[in-house]
Amino acid sequence: MPDFAITIDRLEKSFPRALSGWRALLQPFAAPTLEALRGISFQVKTGEAVALLGTNGAGKSTLLRILATLLLPTRGRALVVGHDSAREPAAVRRQLGYHAGSDLGFYARLTAEENLRFFGQLNHLSGSYLRLRIATLSEQFELGAALGNQVRTLSSGTIQRLSLLRALLHEPKVLLLDEPTRSLDALAASDFRKFLKAEVLQRQGTSLLFASHTLSEIELLADRVAILKTGNLLAIDTPAALKSASGASTLEEAFSRLTGHSAHFLQELAPS
Amino acid sequence: MMGVIRDLLVFFQRDVRIASSYRSPFVLELVEALFGAAMFYYVARFVDSPELRQALPQGTSYFAYSLVGFVFFDYLHAALDSFDRTLEEARDTGTLEPLLVTQVSLPVALIGSSIYPFVLTTLRVAVYLGWGSALFDFPLRQANWLSVLLVLAATMLSFAGLGIFSSAFLLLFKRGNPSKWFFLGVSSVVGGMLFPVSVLPSWLQIIAHLNPVTYALDAMRGALLGRANLSAIAQPLLILFLFAVLLLPTSILAFSWALRRTKITGTLSHR
Repeated sequence: MPDFAITIDRLEKSFPRALSGWRALLQPFAAPTLEALRGISFQVKTGEAVALLGTNGAGKSTLLRILATLLLPTRGRALVVGHDSAREPAAVRRQLGYHAGSDLGFYARLTAEENLRFFGQLNHLSGSYLRLRIATLSEQFELGAALGNQVRTLSSGTIQRLSLLRALLHEPKVLLLDEPTRSLDALAASDFRKFLKAEVLQRQGTSLLFASHTLSEIELLADRVAILKTGNLLAIDTPAALKSASGASTLEEAFSRLTGHSAHFLQELAPS
Repeated sequence: MMGVIRDLLVFFQRDVRIASSYRSPFVLELVEALFGAAMFYYVARFVDSPELRQALPQGTSYFAYSLVGFVFFDYLHAALDSFDRTLEEARDTGTLEPLLVTQVSLPVALIGSSIYPFVLTTLRVAVYLGWGSALFDFPLRQANWLSVLLVLAATMLSFAGLGIFSSAFLLLFKRGNPSKWFFLGVSSVVGGMLFPVSVLPSWLQIIAHLNPVTYALDAMRGALLGRANLSAIAQPLLILFLFAVLLLPTSILAFSWALRRTKITGTLSHR
């Protein structure tokens, strides 16, 4: 097994400009000119948790979506457990669990359990093992009572927890989470962070790359923090080292000094 | 191979569960089919003429001819619609990306999602023919069922290729495929749905013979109405399989290319 769960090597991603009117017909063939990632490189060690921190448009979700094989890079490579996300997408998907920040994606007319069974079967989990995983995780996520209900009847916070559970169902080696606690209430968010820390990171040794605007979450979970600004990687280090290098007393202040954004910018982005 | 079949069945089970959460539509379809069959019966009685009987295959009533044409044309609708609808629903409900990060490829997901519409269409066809046989003397006992099954398989495979082409278009351009509606319109006129291709002008007959619908309906009428064994329908059946061999791989290639483009442009889940 490679030492690095994730390797990002001079990764670049550009998107074409959105075309309107009749030109929209040419959209699939438009040249990519808007740079979202500008040659970033870093690695995530096996069992390590790295946070992506940056304002909207910094490139966090783009990076996670390239790793999840939902986007192709323009240049450079993104490897998951040694597999190239562009060239070996099937091998990459075997290794990872992905939770998108938006579009949580469940079938509204199916129950929560039917949805989980469906996605578990598509990850080739066997019947008895799948039932056991759903039972165990739903207890840990306090979703037991919701399992028999159609998803259309569930609250957004419950659906968010369901989406996180889905990402963990097949015990992935690498977990990619885009704003994992965005729709959760304060208590559910705190419980989820504790579960992630104790169960997923410490007990299972899963590698984690996550995007978040919540600095307390980052300080609790992340071994290192990657600070992104307009597609550039400004710094990557432990929270303590980032604070020390920028002469800041808090991570918020370090972020502010490194990016030039005022600290309240992040507070506005973070969930209340 | 077994793994792919298992994956396909997972999609079918999902669609059965979703459909069973709405209870009434299928019952209503049973009733609708009764009225549909009755309509063809009375239209056939009204338009019956010596000229019409001469244009139809020997011993075939216009009721049986038009009912087979009408109900089997539904397979074309199912093929052209089911892949597109699968893609649109997955995009609208936000399930497209969660599906794409599982270990199942999108072509398998698309094909798996089209099984239920094809099964539903087959049930609908069976109900139409059942009503036709029970109440309006549709000659179901003349059918050669082995030939019927083979024609059905060849029809579904060749029509599925057309459906996948349509969804490749949808993936790229995000909106309904105008060529799909054009193809459906042309096929309803030249495919022999309600009247024989032989009554068309010769230039339209040329177009009819480039269309898999013509061969599907021709072979199905032979198998269902004319007791035709395999050798009797060998020609249209072979042409249908050739369409399938040509359309399926090229459509999957086109779809894979379209999927790659959307991953480059970042428009995969755009609506």
